[in-house]
Amino acid sequence: MMIKHTENLKKLPKELSDAIARLSQSENPPAVLASGALAETAASSRVRISDGKLSVTDGPFTETKEVVGGFAILEFKSKEEAVQSAREYMELYRKYWPEWQGETEVRQIYGPEEITFETGRMELKADLKHHKK
Amino acid sequence: MRFMMMVKSAENAGAPPKELMEAINQLTVEQSQEGRLVAAGGLAPTAMSSRVRLSDGKLAVIDGPFVETKEVVGGYAVMEFSSKEAAVKSALEFMELHRKHWPGWEGETEIRQMFGPEEYEFEAGNLQKRCAPNT
Repeated sequence: MMIKHTENLKKLPKELSDAIARLSQSENPPAVLASGALAETAASSRVRISDGKLSVTDGPFTETKEVVGGFAILEFKSKEEAVQSAREYMELYRKYWPEWQGETEVRQIYGPEEITFETGRMELKADLKHHKK
Repeated sequence: MRFMMMVKSAENAGAPPKELMEAINQLTVEQSQEGRLVAAGGLAPTAMSSRVRLSDGKLAVIDGPFVETKEVVGGYAVMEFSSKEAAVKSALEFMELHRKHWPGWEGETEIRQMFGPEEYEFEAGNLQKRCAPNT
């Protein structure tokens, strides 16, 4: 889960932070493998390859309106469950920080057990690929 | 200090060559043994992903693909370093593997320090960082 928003934000209200903290005490909370807030892009860097050349660029990064400000790695049985959880999370923002705009991007994470090198290049295993539109 | 490394590239770049993945696996084993690697993985294509968006007080679920940006996050690693300079150096080594084993690939690793609850406090009812990095 990646939470994206503009960088010129006011600080998170305490009511929202308390509501987020209460999520972990709900009936069946998802297992949290890692989560955190990310430093502002002004304090961050990028290492880029372009035309075979490596370069380091220091932030701020201003080419996109919204940037990833925080993330959580969570365990769910299905993508539907993950989207539902993201919905509940965003609902807390709607309730406790009404002027906030942004989104939670929900992406499945693959480890070595979900990929194959049959063709000499990395691919998703066949039974995972057909979920793709 | 904990860092999030996000690897971004165009989605139509194709699959990475086996040689690159072997070199990355080797690096991953070394970093795990050094206790630097907390978590890492590849992300599903945006065509298989969704966004839950809050805008003007309304919630909406949008299914991928997401095509409004040229490059998207395709993989990540959460790692421990003693400084941001050490994190950037490690990202350079990682990208050097891409340069060597996947000529023609274009993309970047974004290095962002991570903060957990212990690095925050509430002042005047709002969340504040205990001490801002690099400021």
